[in-house]
Amino acid sequence: MGPQLSWYLALSAILFTIGAVGVIVKRNVIAMFMCIELMLNAVNLSFVAFSSYFQDVTGQLFVFIVMTVAAAEAAVGLGIIITIFRNRETLDVDDASILKL
Amino acid sequence: MTTLLFIIFAGLAIGSAIAMVSQSNPLYSAISLIGVFISLASIYVTLAAPFIAAVQVIVYAGAIMVLVIFVIMLLNVEHSAPRRRRLKFLLPMSIGMAGILLAETAFILYSVQTAENRLPGNISNVGLTHSIGEGLFTSYLLPFEVTSILLLMAIVGAMSLARRTTILSSTARVVPGAQVLAMDIVNPRAVGDMRPVETETTHEAAHLLGVDFQSDRNQED
Repeated sequence: MGPQLSWYLALSAILFTIGAVGVIVKRNVIAMFMCIELMLNAVNLSFVAFSSYFQDVTGQLFVFIVMTVAAAEAAVGLGIIITIFRNRETLDVDDASILKL
Repeated sequence: MTTLLFIIFAGLAIGSAIAMVSQSNPLYSAISLIGVFISLASIYVTLAAPFIAAVQVIVYAGAIMVLVIFVIMLLNVEHSAPRRRRLKFLLPMSIGMAGILLAETAFILYSVQTAENRLPGNISNVGLTHSIGEGLFTSYLLPFEVTSILLLMAIVGAMSLARRTTILSSTARVVPGAQVLAMDIVNPRAVGDMRPVETETTHEAAHLLGVDFQSDRNQED
């Protein structure tokens, strides 16, 4: 008996929860950013598991597009982080709670 | 065999994820996150999705995390100052939110146990590059093209965000020998103190505000 679909979904849920907790707990912008990446990966895992379960390639195409969006998000997000650091000289989100410069 | 591999890599993924959240140094967090990505790529291989596994390693562990580590080392922030005191009502609220989150996860874990299980045999060609390319260029051509536009927007946005802007804003009146208003100069160390100060020269204003002023900005305006 090989691994079942529910195992993959459970692993996905656990990873997503860890990522969500990290976004809430962390105060460093870059650490929060990495926790968001972890949440995206947890969702990707359930996509691939469903794709393998239903023998349908659509889930893997979704994963492909999610990866592209994550790459775009990384580029823009790190640009924003660099700009915040240049203006405030900190990476703490509590110091960047005002939108004004 | 597949069960053993799943248990090994699932344990690695969960352990790396917990290590990532519990680290205080962002560099160690990034390396733990690479561990999560590699474990997930191995799980994709056992799910008969070799193309997604390769893309996972190349794009996530290769490109995105290198970019993140590059930014961490570029900014080079030392350990954060001791935590300031937050609002008092946040603590009971956070306990309630954590309870809701735990209950949701427990519900998912419970409901997937009662659902129909059993992965079918991995003998198909669903995860191969051929079938993915076929799907991507026939029935999902429009999302593919929209993704390319999204990437172009991301490139332009990242360049315009991270570009080193000039110290003087675009509306600053910089004429050699004339006065300059300090309102027009954005000083990163004087946030909140934006009173206008009149000085004789631009250099004097820059010195007063503690910013470096290169005189070659005059030609740009």
